[in-house]
Amino acid sequence: MDIRIVVDNIGKSFGEKRLFSNVFAEIAGGQCLTVTGCNGSGKSTLLKIIAGLVRPTAGQVKLILDNRLCPKERIYYMGLVAPEVSMYLALTGIENIIFWTKMRGISCSKVEAENFCRQMGLGKSGCDLVATYSTGMRQRLKLAVIKAINPPIWLLDEPSSNLDEGGKELVKELIFAAVAQKAAVMLATNESEEVMYGKSTITL
Amino acid sequence: MARVPLLSSNAVWAVFTKEAVCESRTKYAVGALVMFALTALSSVSLAIAGVSLAPELAAALLWIVLFFCAMAGLARVFVQEQEAGTLLGLRLYATGQAVFWGKLLFNLVLLLGLTGIVAPLFTVFFGIEIWYWLPFVIVLLLGCVGMAAVATLTAAMVMYAQGKHAIFTVLTFPVLLPQFLSAINLTAKILSEDMPELSELMFMAGYDAAVVAAGILLFDYLWQE
Repeated sequence: MDIRIVVDNIGKSFGEKRLFSNVFAEIAGGQCLTVTGCNGSGKSTLLKIIAGLVRPTAGQVKLILDNRLCPKERIYYMGLVAPEVSMYLALTGIENIIFWTKMRGISCSKVEAENFCRQMGLGKSGCDLVATYSTGMRQRLKLAVIKAINPPIWLLDEPSSNLDEGGKELVKELIFAAVAQKAAVMLATNESEEVMYGKSTITL
Repeated sequence: MARVPLLSSNAVWAVFTKEAVCESRTKYAVGALVMFALTALSSVSLAIAGVSLAPELAAALLWIVLFFCAMAGLARVFVQEQEAGTLLGLRLYATGQAVFWGKLLFNLVLLLGLTGIVAPLFTVFFGIEIWYWLPFVIVLLLGCVGMAAVATLTAAMVMYAQGKHAIFTVLTFPVLLPQFLSAINLTAKILSEDMPELSELMFMAGYDAAVVAAGILLFDYLWQE
């Protein structure tokens, strides 16, 4: 499937305050685009607009599948890792993975969920309640969820936040693996090393 | 790789079981609902000290207890998602219909479970004898479906609001009023050893069907902003 996201003259204001305007970008499957900018510049908001979770004040985001505009179902092609997206604290890591994959209509067995946890460095903690996780472990669980869902478009907002060096390496491997399998990756970051992962960069 | 989720029984069941598992581990709603019901029933029962209540008054008391129990616990299904930060993920990964049906089913099961505790206690505390159990159960069932459906919809409406708990009750009551009054009237009739008319039961069933249909049609608009 040939997939392309076109960000066409997007702007966002909150009341009188203009966050950003005239943002143009295009990203195709197998590419990584990085979004940088100082705190409060609107990186997270831009990713949420692209995901279809927030309406832009101006412009539009187009999802093009096999050269055909896909107007309504954009949100179902997205996966998002962001500080605002939390996991269920009263469920275990494995239960979280199984629940989120079921929401997308993807079957994921307990053994597969355990494997995703292990791959993300959670080890046997996948069987523990998320309420007992550290912030770094919760971030790893979010990465495990997006890997399990494996969407065609990956939206990663500060994916390395709260992660140790091993975790940062894991994020790098995840991004490169997603790009290798023709997913479109949009990465909002201020880490200088991560900015280098992108083929192109938008600065807000 | 790409998967456009349709409304599937799997997704509805996943939302329902997720709610049930979270509730069984936190006991947030069950605790609030049961404690409110026990406090209200026992305090009124002690206050009237064995004096028998008129059927209208007893019926109103039963439904007021059920209504405020519903107000105390049913908004949780969306408010909790908003406060815990899981709402964004749910909006991204789940369809509105799966969320609506899953949460409606959970609220309904919770309310029916509570009614299963409250109704027998109500007959014991107030020394009420029910002659027509089947119509009584049908009225309770229809009333609970209406309350759960309206509460699920209004909970979704108020989840972003400030002072959401107060707005939830204020918004739910007028919408629920036709069903609420019918339920009180029919319960009073049953407590007066009279059988409700079929048309009266049909009105309650029709109200439930209308609210659920409104939920099906409107929920997607609420869900995606």
